[in-house]
Formats: sequence, C-alpha cells, structure tokens
Amino acid sequence: MNLKSLLIALALASTLATGALADGHWSLKKAAEPYAGTTIDVVFLLRPGYEAIEAMLPAFEAETGITVNIIKHPYENALGEQVRDFVAGGDLDIALIDLVWIGNFAENEWILPIDEFTSNPDLADPDLDIDDFFPLVLNAFGGWNDVIYGLPFDNYSGLLFYNRCMLEEAGFDGPPETWEELKDVYGPALTGDGKYAFALQSKRNETQSADSFARVIWPFGGSFLDENFRSNLLSAESQAGLKFRQDLMQYMPDGIVAYDHAEVVNAFAQGDVAMITEWSAFYSTVVSPETSKVADCVEIAPEPKGPAGRKPALGGFSLAVAAQADDDERAAAWLFIQWATSKANAVEYLERGGVPARKSAYADMSLAETYKFIPALVESWQDGVPEFRPRFAEWPVLTEIVQEWGSKMMLGEVSTEEGARILGEQMEAVLEEAGYYNGEKPLVQ
Amino acid sequence: MAHGKVSRRTLFAFLSPAVLGLALVGIVPLLYALWTSLHFFNLTKLRKVKFIGLENYGSVLTDPVFWEAMGRTFFLLGTALPIQIALGLVIALVLHQPGLSLLKTLTRLSLVLPMATTYAVVGLLGQVMFNQKFGVVNQLLGGADINWIGDPTNAFIMIIFWDVWQWTPFVALVMLAGLAMVPGEIEEAAQLETKNWWTVLRYVQLPFLVPGLVAVLILRTADTLKLFDMVFTLTRGGPGASTEFISLMIQRVGFRGFDQGLASAQAIILLIITIILAQIYIRVFYKEV
Repeated sequence: MNLKSLLIALALASTLATGALADGHWSLKKAAEPYAGTTIDVVFLLRPGYEAIEAMLPAFEAETGITVNIIKHPYENALGEQVRDFVAGGDLDIALIDLVWIGNFAENEWILPIDEFTSNPDLADPDLDIDDFFPLVLNAFGGWNDVIYGLPFDNYSGLLFYNRCMLEEAGFDGPPETWEELKDVYGPALTGDGKYAFALQSKRNETQSADSFARVIWPFGGSFLDENFRSNLLSAESQAGLKFRQDLMQYMPDGIVAYDHAEVVNAFAQGDVAMITEWSAFYSTVVSPETSKVADCVEIAPEPKGPAGRKPALGGFSLAVAAQADDDERAAAWLFIQWATSKANAVEYLERGGVPARKSAYADMSLAETYKFIPALVESWQDGVPEFRPRFAEWPVLTEIVQEWGSKMMLGEVSTEEGARILGEQMEAVLEEAGYYNGEKPLVQ
Repeated sequence: MAHGKVSRRTLFAFLSPAVLGLALVGIVPLLYALWTSLHFFNLTKLRKVKFIGLENYGSVLTDPVFWEAMGRTFFLLGTALPIQIALGLVIALVLHQPGLSLLKTLTRLSLVLPMATTYAVVGLLGQVMFNQKFGVVNQLLGGADINWIGDPTNAFIMIIFWDVWQWTPFVALVMLAGLAMVPGEIEEAAQLETKNWWTVLRYVQLPFLVPGLVAVLILRTADTLKLFDMVFTLTRGGPGASTEFISLMIQRVGFRGFDQGLASAQAIILLIITIILAQIYIRVFYKEV
C-alpha cells in the first residue's frame, strides 16, 4: 500500500467512524445527530399537502431531534413573506418555491443547489434516487437553468373533475375529450335551472393568470411569449384560446371572475357545477363526504385536449435550502427536505392527502382504485408544459399585468385583441427593462 | 429664569420623548420612502438599486392606471362621504332630542360597534353576506339573484355600503358632540323664535358643527385614501380593476410586484394630495364659519 492509498483509506475510515455511515448504513438518525436541537423555519400553505406532512412531522422530529417551525400563510402571501425574509436576512431556513418563483429565487441566490448536499455522504440518503421524481416535475418545480435547487414537494397537475351523476343524467357516459366538445356539446346540455356545465376559477390573482388565462392559450397552440421573448398573445392560436374562454363563459356561473379555488371547488362539491378543471391537490376535498355533497359521484379525467393537444395546467412547489441559513440549519433543512420528499414516505404522504412526485409511489396500481386522480395525474405529468407560466424572475410583475387585462377581457371591458395588445406591450416593456432584448439575460423561462 | 416660567431644558425633556417617538415611527420611514422613491429599488433586484432622480414620479404621473385608481378612490369618497354626513347628522339630531335617555344611551353604545369592527373582518363578513347564492343580503331581498361580488358595478356599491355602515356612526358621534356644544339657552331661544328646524340648524347649530365637520372631512378623506383591508379581503380590487383603489394599487406595486421605488413615489404623491385636501378643507370651511 503506497502513501496515497493509505491516506485515502485513513480518510474513509475516519468518515465512516464519525459520520452517518458509521456502521456502513446511512440512517436519518445518525445523519441528524450533529444537528439535534436545531430549529428550522419554513413557510407552509393552508392546503392539504401541507397538513399531510405536518401530521407526519412528529416522526421526523422524534428521530432527528430537529424541530421544524412551520409558519403558515395563504398562498397569496407566501411569496411576499419569503421575499421580505430573504431580503432582510431573516429566519427562514427552507424556501417554499412555487414553480413560477424558482427563477427569482435562484437568480437572487436565496437558495442553494442540491449538489451541495447530495455530494456530502453524511447528509445524502443513498435512497434519495433523484431519477424517481417525474422529470417534468423535478425540472419545472425545482430546477432553473439546468441546476436543481429544490425537491418537488406539493405537486399539482390540472385535472378535469366531473360529476358522473350529472353527466349520466344528461345522457353522457363519460367526460368530454376536447375543449370544443366541453363547450359545444356538454355546455348546453348541463347548463340550466341554476346548474352550470363548467366553472373556471378566474379571480384576479394568480388564479386568473395560471388557472384561467394560461389554461386556455396552451391547448389552442398559443403561449405567452415566442422564441424571441416577444408577446405571442396576438397570434391566431392564443387568440383562439382567449376567444374560446369568452364563449365558454355562457356555461359558467355569473361572476366567475370573482371565483377563486375555494368557490369553484365548493360549487362543484355542492353539485351546482358539473365539471371543473382544478389542481390534483383538491381531490381530498371533493371526495370527502364531510366537505362534498357529491363525493360518490366524483370522477377524474385528464384535462380536455385542444387543437394543440393536451396541455394541462402545471403547478406545484419545491422545497430548497435557504442560503441565509447557517451550516447546521442548512444540514438540518436538507435532512427535512430529503425526508419529506423521500420514496419511503411518498405513499403515506399520498394517503394523508398529499400528492407526491415520486414515480414509485404510483407503481402500485391498486392505489388508483382509492385515489382516482392517479392515472390522470401520471398522464398529465407526461404531457405538461414546463413554461406553462414563465418561471423567470420577472413573472411576479408579468402576472399582475396578465391578471388585470385577463380580467378585463372576461368582463368585456376590452376585446381579446385589444387586451392582448396592451398586455403584450406591457409585458415586453418589463422584459426589455430586465435586459432580455439586449443580451444581458438569457432567454430562459 | 423668571418666576413661573418653565426652563427650556424642562420643555425639551418633556417634549423629546414624544418627538423622538414620532420621528422613529413617522418621520424616519417617510424619509426612507422619499429616498427609495428616488431610486430604482426592486426587492427582487437589489443588486440593481440606483439613483434615478424623479423618474419614478414621472412614471406615476403619466400612468393612466394610477389616475384611474385615484379617480375611483375619489368617486368612492364623493359618494360615501355625503351619505355618511347626511345619515350621521340625522342620527345626531334625533339623539339630541330630549327624553328617552336610556334608549339614547343604548343607541350611542351600539354606534361604537361598527367602528370597533376590524376592517379585514368587515371584508370577510361581506364575502359571506353578499354571496350570490347563500348570502343573507340576497335572502333579505326576497331571494334575489344579484351577483354582488362578481359584477363590477355591484362590487363598487357593496364597498360603498360597507364604508357607510362602518363610518356613519363615527360621523354621528362627532355631530352629536358638536350639538352638545350649543348653549342650551341659545337653542331654546331660537326654537321660541321660529318653528323652522332648518333655520335653527343653519344659523344656531351648524356653526358649532363646523369644526367637527372639518375633522370628519379630513379624517374620512385620509381614511378613504388609505382604504385597504376591507377591500382587499372582500374583492381584492376586482372584479377586473373595478374596486382597485389607490392603496390597493400601491400595495400591488410595492408588495406583489416588489417595486418599492415606484410604490414609494405613488405613496408620496398620495400624501401630498392628502395634505393639500386637508388644507383646502380647513381654509374653505373655517372661512365660512
């Protein structure tokens, strides 16, 4: 044995003797030993996926001695709260990142790439199996510019929730396959006597831009931006989608522009609306007899296809270690993220109302009998568009513009052409100032 | 030091805590807002902070969306405030009548309740009460199917309703305090001179009401210009932009778009408008007294 080999052997032995691999097997308990007593702060939303992991949390805290301090916010406050915390060098050790925030957080260096932890054998679970995440979800929710920062945590795909009983009563034996069919065939048959065929949540917040506006432009072949980052909203395809939405409103409840997720889910759960396109995360609400009058009638299908194919809404979150955390907090935060998104916990997370992004969690087909959304979800995650909403740092400004003019279009205050023209001009002004047109920033979304 | 005079040191000692407190919570943030308004200052682009002079002010003053929000705010003020003053005055005059002292005491106490209700709670109550399908308002209207929150005009009417509900009692109490200042013998003498209540109100009671009225105008104007919580929880400025008042717009720019520089410029302009209006109220109405 030469000197180099001897040194390597000694170093390895030292690592094994002191680290999480002491007996040759990595364990969370051993990995967390140096960080017992550490408290990590994280923002959670008031949604089922967070309640699920919160219910599982005592097991993590008991095993690691790490305390997870959860700060709960409604979605609409979560970005602002986190931005202010990171700007002020606050307490958050974990960033909760909506897929449209990832560019913002990464460019500001508020979050750390996962490489820092996966390359550390003391912290990296050998069963992490990064390839087990759906690639679309991992890249869209946790990746930016070919670097992975976060692991997918609270994962959504847009799904068509339909009331089988109402559809059967109207003579349909299944859901619509296309958006046109939904409007032209199912719309008239299911609307009347205070009931509506469809409800598209369109309130003037992220719901308007993500759930309503983007949902109608992509299946019709449209998009927010073209390949040069110029507005594509006046293209024939985008206009077709926006005009389709205007036509579809006749089969939606009055005042749909004031409907947020809660309103459409409630309208569906009360049996007033036959179909909604909602995030998978609301599944547990509509199938629970405690919160739904139509629990026995709920069926799930992928979102309808448009002329450009099935382009379901894509949304969801990842958890990433915050750069402002100190070394112990970073390690503890990583251990929590790794645990919360692990293969081992995915099925329990699913059973408690969460939606994991692990392929292995859906391998057991018998689960699909209990969780009807699984086949549609898995199919949607094959076809989704990562840039369903651009993920760059300018999105928080762009979404406000989309919300304003998207709402005005729906209210008939401007035509789809005029609204798209103004919206496009304002979007381009923001992108120009950001430096996308002079080569200062790469055209990455 | 002359006998009976307080030394400057004592004056400073008594005044300085209040002045320091005021400076810390009022003047320092104001100066900071002034500083940010002169800079490109976006919370998500702090590496790009730079002095841009009056560019933010130029953007605000030429932004039609800002003036639309300002117009909407003044329209709200122009519709809600006269209703509040009229109703408040009627309530005050009724409560100023002699007799029924227990009932009047109870009424005065109940007037405090709307004012004591948190703005955000009023908005949340509004969401429930004005719900098109399940709301009590439509039920009281005979099962009407009025879309309050999702219709731009109805949403605006709803905001006026809640503003009037919450702040009419304040106006009534201020007016009542003003009426209590009228010397009883003068009021009685006037009532012996004429049976015309308007004459008594105009020439005897109104002069005593003017200081309170000016205070109401100033406070309600400032309140309306900074009206945020109730509208945010009730309509979030929607549908469309129909209830996006100036404070909601500033919050949107500053805390959802994170452009603190532009939002600060908007806030400073709003402050200037508020001060000018307060000065106008004082000069015009006091001159009339």
